[in-house]
Formats: sequence, C-alpha cells, structure tokens
Amino acid sequence: MSLVSRAAPVQRSYAPRRHRKLGRVVLRYVILIAVLIFAVFPFLWTLAIALTDKHGGGSIYDFPASLFPRAVTLRNFVEVYTTFSLGKYVWNSISITGMTILGTLVVSALAAYPLARFRFPGRDLIFGVIVATLVLPSETTFIVNTLTLKELGLLGTHVGVVLPTIAGAFGIFLMRQAFLGIPQALIEAARIDGASEFTILTRIMLPLTKPSLAALGIFTLVASWNAYFWPMLALSGAPDSVPLSVAVLKLKGQFNYDPFNIAAGALIMMIPVLLVFLSAQKLFMRGMEGAVK
Amino acid sequence: MIRSQRPTPGKPPLSGKPKYSLRDTLLSYGFLAPALILLAVFTFYPLAYGSYLGFTEYGGARFGQGLPPKWTGLDNFRTLMADPLFLKSLLNSVKYLIIVPILQLASLAVAVLVNKNLPGMAFFRAAYYVPVVTSISLAAVMWDWVYNKDGTLNWALGAVHLVSKNQMFGWLNNEYTAFWAVMLVTFWRGFGYYMVLYLAGLQGIPAELEEAAVLDGASSWKRFWSITVPMMKPTILLCSLLSTIAALRVLEEVLVLTNGGPLNSTYTALMYVYSKAFQGFDFNYGLASAAGLVVAAVALLLSAVNFRLFRDSSGDGA
Amino acid sequence: MSKKIAARLLTLGLSLALGTAAAQSPVEVQFWTWYLSPKFDNYIKSTISDFEKANPGISVKWFDKQDSMVQDFISSVNLGSAPDVVNLNIDETAKAAQNGFLRNVDSLTPMASLKSTFYAQPLANFTLGGKVYAYPWYGWLNEGVLLYNPDLMKKAGLTRAPRSMTELLGMAKTIKDKTGAYAWVPALKDPNTASFLGYFYSDGLPIYDAGGKAAFNTAAHAALLQQYVTLFKGGYIPEDAVRKEAFQVATELYPQNKVAMIVGGPQALTRIKDSNPTLYAKTVVTEAPLGKARVQTGGSMGLVVPTASKHPVEAAKLAAFFTSNASQIAFAKVVPVVPTTSAAQRDPLFKRASGGDPIANATSLVGASGRYINPGFKAPGNSDDLYKNLNDNIEAALLGKKTAQAALDDTVTYWNANMKK
Repeated sequence: MSLVSRAAPVQRSYAPRRHRKLGRVVLRYVILIAVLIFAVFPFLWTLAIALTDKHGGGSIYDFPASLFPRAVTLRNFVEVYTTFSLGKYVWNSISITGMTILGTLVVSALAAYPLARFRFPGRDLIFGVIVATLVLPSETTFIVNTLTLKELGLLGTHVGVVLPTIAGAFGIFLMRQAFLGIPQALIEAARIDGASEFTILTRIMLPLTKPSLAALGIFTLVASWNAYFWPMLALSGAPDSVPLSVAVLKLKGQFNYDPFNIAAGALIMMIPVLLVFLSAQKLFMRGMEGAVK
Repeated sequence: MIRSQRPTPGKPPLSGKPKYSLRDTLLSYGFLAPALILLAVFTFYPLAYGSYLGFTEYGGARFGQGLPPKWTGLDNFRTLMADPLFLKSLLNSVKYLIIVPILQLASLAVAVLVNKNLPGMAFFRAAYYVPVVTSISLAAVMWDWVYNKDGTLNWALGAVHLVSKNQMFGWLNNEYTAFWAVMLVTFWRGFGYYMVLYLAGLQGIPAELEEAAVLDGASSWKRFWSITVPMMKPTILLCSLLSTIAALRVLEEVLVLTNGGPLNSTYTALMYVYSKAFQGFDFNYGLASAAGLVVAAVALLLSAVNFRLFRDSSGDGA
Repeated sequence: MSKKIAARLLTLGLSLALGTAAAQSPVEVQFWTWYLSPKFDNYIKSTISDFEKANPGISVKWFDKQDSMVQDFISSVNLGSAPDVVNLNIDETAKAAQNGFLRNVDSLTPMASLKSTFYAQPLANFTLGGKVYAYPWYGWLNEGVLLYNPDLMKKAGLTRAPRSMTELLGMAKTIKDKTGAYAWVPALKDPNTASFLGYFYSDGLPIYDAGGKAAFNTAAHAALLQQYVTLFKGGYIPEDAVRKEAFQVATELYPQNKVAMIVGGPQALTRIKDSNPTLYAKTVVTEAPLGKARVQTGGSMGLVVPTASKHPVEAAKLAAFFTSNASQIAFAKVVPVVPTTSAAQRDPLFKRASGGDPIANATSLVGASGRYINPGFKAPGNSDDLYKNLNDNIEAALLGKKTAQAALDDTVTYWNANMKK
C-alpha cells in the first residue's frame, strides 16, 4: 500500500507501534464505511427505482423490497430523455453553468485579493456589506432583477441568467479566506523582485489557492446546475433556452404517475456533477504528495 | 523597489493613524470594480429595495391594481411581534443553531479522515458529496421511510429491544422528535459540503509542521488540536458562519419532510417568510421583508459572535 | 402607444361590425396551462391548431407552467408582458380576482351564453360578487368513486362496500382489527386546502352563516370532528395523514395491501396500475359513499383573462373554444376528467360501461357528473392564513392538545377576525 512505503521511515523508528498503527487504519475504514452508508442510501434507492422495470410489478414504497428490483432496465432513462427531449436542455445547462463558473472564479478572485491583502479606505466596510448580503431578505430580489435585465435587454438570454449570480458573497468570502492563509513572506519576495500586483495574483496567489478555487468551482457547478427558480423566471419567455433543471421539473408534476421516470430524471441531473467532482478532486487535493502522517 | 517599510495588511501600524497609499487604494478598487458593479446592480439595489419594502404595505392587492408600496413605518414589525406563529418560528430557527458546532466538528473530522493517501479515499470523498447533489424531494421519500412508524429506525431500535412495538411512533409525526429528525437530514445534506471546504483548507497546512509534530511523538489527537485547528481558523470561521446562516435560514428539508408540523414544532422563520412572500396572489412582500429583516438582524448578531470566536487572523499568515 | 391601441380597437370594432376577417397582422395571444405538458401535448396542440383554423386572424403561443405558475403570472404583469389566457384553479382564481388581477369574463362573453354553456354550480364556483372570473374548464370529484381491495374486505367479514360516510366510519375499526389494514385514509388536513370543511358540507353542516361569517363550531360540527379524533387516537387512521396529503398516503399504502379502500378520483387507479398491476386487476370500483347531505364535492380548473392582457377579445375567443363542450369531451377521451359543460351529460362517452377495465368504469361513473362539482364552500379572502389556522387546530384536536369543540371555536374566532372580504 502506498502509505506504508511512504510512512516507512517513521514506522521503522517506532517499530512497537506497528500494531497500533494497523489498528488505527482498520478503525479509520470502519468509520469511513459507516459514514458511507449514511451518505449514499437515498442515492442507492433512487438508482434502484430508476433501474426498475416498471411493468414488473411491486410498489416503490414497499421497503426494503424496492431496493432490489425484480427486473432491471434502462428504459426509464431513454423514456425521460426522449419524452422531454432533454438533449437541447443539456446544452443550455452546460452553457449557463460554464459561464457562471468562469465568471464566479474570475470576479471572486479579483475582488478577494485586495480584501485579503491590501489596506485601503473602506475595506472593512465593503467586506462587511458583502457578508451582510448573505443574510438580508432576498425574497423580492428576483422581481427587481427581472426588471433590470429587461432594461438591459438581457431578459430571456443565458447571459441574463448568469450575470446576477456571479458576484456573490460566498465566492468572495471563500477566496479571501484562502488568500489570508498564504505566507506574507512569499508576496514580499515577489514584490522585491519587482512583480506587478496582477502578476502576484496570477503567478503566486492563484496557484497556491488552487484547492479553494476548485472547491468554489465545484460549489458553483452544483448550485448553477441545480438552480431552477431563478432560471425559470429569467427564461420564462424563452422556454427553449431553459436548463435541464427547469426541464426536469416538469417531471415533478407527474410524480403521481411515474416515480420511475422521476428517479431516472434525477440521476440524469446528478451523474454529470458527480463525475466532475470525481475528476476535480485532484485539483483540491494537491499537495498530498508531501503529507505524511 | 524595496518595500520592507510597508505595513502588514490588517495589522495596525506601529504608530499613529492608519496611512493608506494611493497606489494600493487605486489598485484595490480596480480589482474590486467588476464585483462591486455587479453587486451594486444585482444584489445591493434589490436588497435595499427589499429592506425598504419591510417598512411598507405592499402585496397582492396593491400590486394587482398597479399601486406603489405604501410607507407604514413599523407596522409590519408590530404585526410580527403580535403573531405567535412568527415568534414560534423564530424560536425554532434559533434552536436550530444547535446543529452548527456538531456539523462543523463532524465535517472537519471527516475531512481529516479522508485527507490521506490510502486506497479508496477518492471514492469516499466523492461518495460523501453525494447527499449534496441528491434531489431533496427524492431524499425526502427515503428519509420518510427511515422515520416511518414501520420504518428502518424503529425496526433497528426494536431489534435491539430499545422500544417495543406498541411504543413505536413515526419520528416525523411526533412533536418532540420531528425537530431533531429534520435536523439529522440537514446534517446529512451538509457534512459533505463542509468537508470539501475543510479539505481545501487542509491542503494549506505545510507538511513540515505535521512531520515535525509526528517526530516529536505528538498523538494524532494532540496534533488535531494543536496544529490542524489553529491553522484552519480562516476556514473554520468561513464554515461556521455559513453554517450559522444556513441553520437560521433552513427551509427545504422542513418543507419536504414535515411542512412545519406537527403542531408547528418544525415551523422555521424562513418558512414564515416564504409563506408570506409566495402565497400566490395574496403575497405580502411587506410582511415577508419585515420578517426577513428580523432574521437578518439575528444572523448579523451571530455573525459578529462568530468573528469574535475565531478572531479574524487577517495578515497573520506567515 | 395609446394611439396605436386606439387604432387597433377601432380596426377591431370595424372588422367585427362589418363581419370581415380581423386586421391583416395576426394577433398573437399567449396561453398558459398548468401542469399539462408533456403528458397532454397532443391534445393541447391539436386543439390550438383547430382554433387557429377557425380564427385565421389569431395565432396562439402556448406555454405550460408548473410550480412557478403564479410567480410567473405576477412577474409577467410586472414586466408588462402578461399572458392573455391562463389556467387557474378555483382558489387561485378567487385570490387573483380579489386582488384585481383578473378581468370578469362576463364582460367578454354574454352572461346568457355562459349560463347556457356551463352547468350552474361550476359557473358559480368562479363567481365573486356577482361577477364571473373564469370559463370553467375540466373538473373532478373529490369523492368521485370508491375503489376497494375485495380480499381485504372479505377478510374483514364485510360483504359490500359502504354506501354512506357513517357506514364507512363504522367499518374503520372492524377492518383494522380483523385485517391489520386501515379502512381508508381521510383527507384530514391536506396542505394549503381546507379539506376538513368538505366533511361538514357533505353532512349538510353549514360553513358560513347567512352574514358570511364562519360558523362551523356548533355541537354537531364538533361531534363530527370528534368521530375522526376517536378513530385517530385508536390507531384506525394512518399517523401520516396529519402530515401528508391523503391521496398520497392512500396511493402509497393501497398497493401494499395496507389500506382497504380509496375514496377519490380515478387518477388514483393510474398509480396503482403502475405499482401493483395484480391488485389493480382485482380492484373493484363502485360509487363513493356520501355524507348525510347526499352531495358530492369536487373542483375544476378555469381559464381566466388577466386585467393586463392586451388582447382580451381574442383571449375570450380562445378561452371559450377550449372550454366548449366539444373540446372538453375530447379531453375527457384522453384522461378521465369531468367536463363542466352541461351538454356533456348527453354524450355517449359517459354511457355506463359494463365490466372491463377499472379506469373505464370510473370514467363512466363520474364523467357526466359535472353538475356536482362544488368545493362545498366559498374560498374566504386571505385563504392561506385561514386554511393554515384551521389545519393547525384540526391537528391539535387529533393529537389531543385541544378538544374538538375548542379547536373549532378557536378556528372560527380566528377566521372571523382575519377574513378579508
């Protein structure tokens, strides 16, 4: 196992501890597996009904029998995909989510850098106001924003959906906290070398905060991919431009008729996000190479 | 250019009033410009408008007839204070804060557990993130089954003879247990989310620190409290703040699991706000915004407490 | 702007007066339905194209709204792009009309014509202050039909289905004690409705007094509620009925043989057919048990014309077309709905089918009963708050926090203090 070889020097110098060490690894896996069951059982059930052949009989509420479908099929997925012609909505989702992630990362990083690393008048006030937006009553925001977008001629477009969402307290806050953690000495050294602030941001700060950027990217992906209320309102006049989340919502109206298709629809929504998460892990797990415990 | 005299950001300069450099100020506002413009147009302005509505009478009737909001001063707040349902909902939301320390400690612990080069860790990390992306309406069906009178939780408790068949009840149908049952679902949805933030934060701890502590023979328990927690302060502040606000504004899981019942024991402040803002054509933006402002005041107060607890260590990094 | 509108009105007036085709540029009307796509795309699209053929000057742009229907409606009024014909239910129509969002349709279609097209009660459901605010569209009955699991009934020693609510309440104990299954799932407090008031209406107990004040707290009302409280406390009604919609609980439990009967619309059958085809085949459909007043309750959709619509005349034409007898009968052929047009009672579609498929039986049982579509009480102003208060009090009674009488007294006090006219 990779850990054993990496941790070898430590273990050699504390040979009597070997047994306790093994015990700890076992314990760690026991806990991890317990948490795993807690985390994924609803997903497994969703997967089970999505794969169930609905003409095979049996109630989906008949637990635990419904966890083990009698007949398995992919037909539910095909049915959902074709009935709702999801193809074009997938593309809309990719367009909206892609723009949102890019915009959020750029805007948040730019704004967070001076908030974390500069002294200028109004800094604490600006930061305070941005944090305050997390808690202020936002129920009427969308009504005002649809009017603004209409004035700007952007209502009903993807850009119109994206613009109001990319500058947010969460992203700015997250990146500020990440920048705070970078040793001042590194920045001073770069300044002494005559690097411009923009260079410091792109060459030092961003590479060092890749884990946070990746985390922000993932969160933005999930939020934007699953958001339905705002896109639904902003695109209510352009039903062909709505993202998958809004299109799939039509399934909900049918829950009484067809939970199998709902489950399939939910998985079609979830699986891309999980795949991106799996591959993006490398980004926020950088630096593992040196971590010996 | 030598800049060693430059004061460290965040730390007050050694003597006298703070001195700002014009260059830094201009640069700062340049970097902030895109965010500030977008925030001004799409966040500050609508939020200011929403806050203003809290002091007006504005709802379906005026809207439907094309009338503007009517200033009513503190009337909405008086209505709220006289509404037992609002007071109860606010109390429930504050009570919901109990989840914050539990959720944060658990998420940090899980992050530490999966922050290792052991086989399968990438899988565990992804699996723990699954609840974050699971559709809440589907998850609700599953949790319903767990909490049902004939559900898995009672089955398990019965199997170890903790309760007998005639003592069993549905956990979501009981006024004393529903609140905690819903909270567990919030926990379920949240720990993967904060785990990712903590993992990102953990990557910033220099490996040398850990190695030195290991060589010193420090136990993993001691390492956690003396190295991990102090080094993670900025992340812990961020997460506990987000978690505090999220707890005060909890809504979705309540809606799908109990709809506020039984006997309003799970009726939260945001449910009140939403029921006023979105009750169809009878919507009452005035009252909803006022209720939102009360929640915001509580949240701001608690945020200040959070900043105090995890004293913002801006500029201390080095 | 106003000149343009004036000109358009003038052209319209002229063309109507001269009986010629409408103005050269076709008028586009926006039509919003509620939760009908994609299941009924074919029906809606073909009806629209029939309408466009019959009205060459009008083109229809159709959207199906789901969860966000009311929100979108409000938002579109705000943006100045309101739809022209909108599908709402009785409660939402009342709320929209009370707040000034709707045009009264009797100003667009003569009252006499409305009265000759629709049954009286469905039309009255959409009438507020003497004005009609919607063209009644497809409907349903709450009691509708009774379906039961014959095996469970036999096991309980029962030879026939209950014919009245009194009988049904009486069977609850027997069935549960002998089979372990619940008799049925009553709609005690369905979210966002005042479902319990329906039981009062069914038993002929008044909801309001002559002056329009809430009056459902007499001893007779309390005694009826007490019957349900007793059953609930004895474990003869599923616990979940206080938390979830009765229809949902019933359609979950029935396929698992955990409930013997379902009182409701034929749509329950669709779900049972999916989840337990064997039981579906055995299921017996019969007439629903009624309360002492021997009346049905039910509801319907309506098509409304917003005040903000820019083409009310064309909108009225479209709404009238969709709610016409021919269009509603065509819809009933696609899905078991109850037409609200009086001519439907003579349609061969609803001649009693003998034997055969449960859904077909149910359709024929309820299809021609549009005249009975009546929620049983008028939605009060400020209905969300009032309904919540009623449901909270019913729950308090069921969970033993209040006596039935106290719960109803508290509700009536609250209603009379908070009811908007």
